[in-house]
Amino acid sequence: MIRPAVFLRIAAFALLVTFITAPHVFAFAFEPFTENGAPAIYDQGSLLSLTIAHLQTVFGAVSASTVVAVLLGIFVTRPSGLEFLPLSRSIVNIGQTFPPVAVLAVAVPLVGFGQAPTLIALFLYGLLPIFENTISGLTQVPPLVLDAAKGMGMTPRQRLLNVELPLAMPVILAGIRLSAIISLGTATIGSTVAAKGLGEVIIAGLQSNNVAFILQGGLVVAVLAILLHDGLMALERTIAARLG
Amino acid sequence: MIEIQNLSKRYDDTIVVDDVSMRMEEGSITVIVGTSGAGKSTLLRMINRLVEPSSGRVLIDGQDTMAVPEDELRHRIGYVIQGNGLFPHRTVAGNIATVPRLLGWEAKRIGQRVDELLQLFQLDPAEFAGKYPHELSGGQQQRVGVARALAARPALLLMDEPFGALDPVIRSKAQDDLLAIQRRLGTTVVLVTHDMEEAFRLGDKIAVMDEARLVQYGTAAELLTHPAEGFVERLVGTAERPFRLLSLTRVRDVVEPGTADGEPLDASIDLREALARMVWVGRDALPVLDSSGAMLGRVSIGGILAHGRQAP
Repeated sequence: MIRPAVFLRIAAFALLVTFITAPHVFAFAFEPFTENGAPAIYDQGSLLSLTIAHLQTVFGAVSASTVVAVLLGIFVTRPSGLEFLPLSRSIVNIGQTFPPVAVLAVAVPLVGFGQAPTLIALFLYGLLPIFENTISGLTQVPPLVLDAAKGMGMTPRQRLLNVELPLAMPVILAGIRLSAIISLGTATIGSTVAAKGLGEVIIAGLQSNNVAFILQGGLVVAVLAILLHDGLMALERTIAARLG
Repeated sequence: MIEIQNLSKRYDDTIVVDDVSMRMEEGSITVIVGTSGAGKSTLLRMINRLVEPSSGRVLIDGQDTMAVPEDELRHRIGYVIQGNGLFPHRTVAGNIATVPRLLGWEAKRIGQRVDELLQLFQLDPAEFAGKYPHELSGGQQQRVGVARALAARPALLLMDEPFGALDPVIRSKAQDDLLAIQRRLGTTVVLVTHDMEEAFRLGDKIAVMDEARLVQYGTAAELLTHPAEGFVERLVGTAERPFRLLSLTRVRDVVEPGTADGEPLDASIDLREALARMVWVGRDALPVLDSSGAMLGRVSIGGILAHGRQAP
């Protein structure tokens, strides 16, 4: 038996796939939002390839944030790195305070237009949640468990890989989920500096005063975000359930 | 055999363990008892180097523990802590397999060892091997904790308040199980507790610690009949002393010839229990049977009381 919530998600996914592969089927729904015979469906590129490009950007940026933030989080929770904790916290916090638009403005003169400035902005913006969650995940491992691990002769490396990281995993994953969701939405502004993505559809709509375009871009991003959120959430729950 | 020589631990100005020397015999249970903060846990943790001694040394079978890499040393020493410290993300089987895996045993050998240990601790492998620690009761978790510590057949087992988190009924059962398993495997056990009752029940030898120092080290009978002045006397408890002394002797050792009326006593129970039974049923003497049911003789209240008297 399929629960209603699961059914709803499968339906949303099916609808999304149908829409980005064959958007013209849905022309009737967007027609009421157009004026002066403007096209109801985005016609300057394929929605499918834009969606894929959008997801690639997000995936690339979040992967990079994850690697850097988790490694940094591990480093500052080791005895040798403990003194760098306040410093790294403030650096990562700065990444979060800079609005992505500002980062884009700074990055474009340095690396040029296209995907690169967007990746940089998303990368910086995504560091903080993952870093903070890595730290709290690693520090909330029960001291008794660590003591037992040490008492049984696990080396610091074995303790990290076999005990600390697995126990911190649900919390770290929550950080990654947060970053991924933020990035998915924020990536739309990358289109202002010529990064390929769903922002293109929204911006085209804004420029031509076509509400149908804006809705299409916005809805695809929103449904993607919901599905991604739910998928990662389910993964977290599975892992957390095993930990009891 | 473990030999502790002039072992001390200092943190800045505070001294936690002060010049302790003692020797623990192979195959025996040594209980370190004392109030909290007396340094007993620190003393225990210096044996497997979870705490590095400030001075002094520990010899295990003549070998200085500092001469062995610490991880290798700990692979050879079982370690059980209060609240067991099981890995919540690993199954019962995975937990028990921890040290064998670290030692690189083959999967098949590990599997066999896990089943063997689960059976030893009366946990059905089919039911329990795949469970996670949070699915177990406190008593079961505790047993898995001990099974995990014994997995790689260590000759030495260190236990830091292993039964502290258990309720009295389960604790008593866990103590019996430990005694039975220790007798069977011949493991040398060093156990830390603040519970004097537990110390008398389990310890072949008891080490009493107070304010970082070892104030007395001896058998239960020695502690009761010749307690070191002051702290040990208070710890042993003057009101409880004769009864504790009685509980160290079995009925079989005080049987007198003759017969008596009434429900017979089992020869393996201790004198304290026998006395309780006699007071309860209102008799001065009861017959004694051995485990096969054969009549051994009788035991009298007078004979029992003589064993609770202070040494002349």
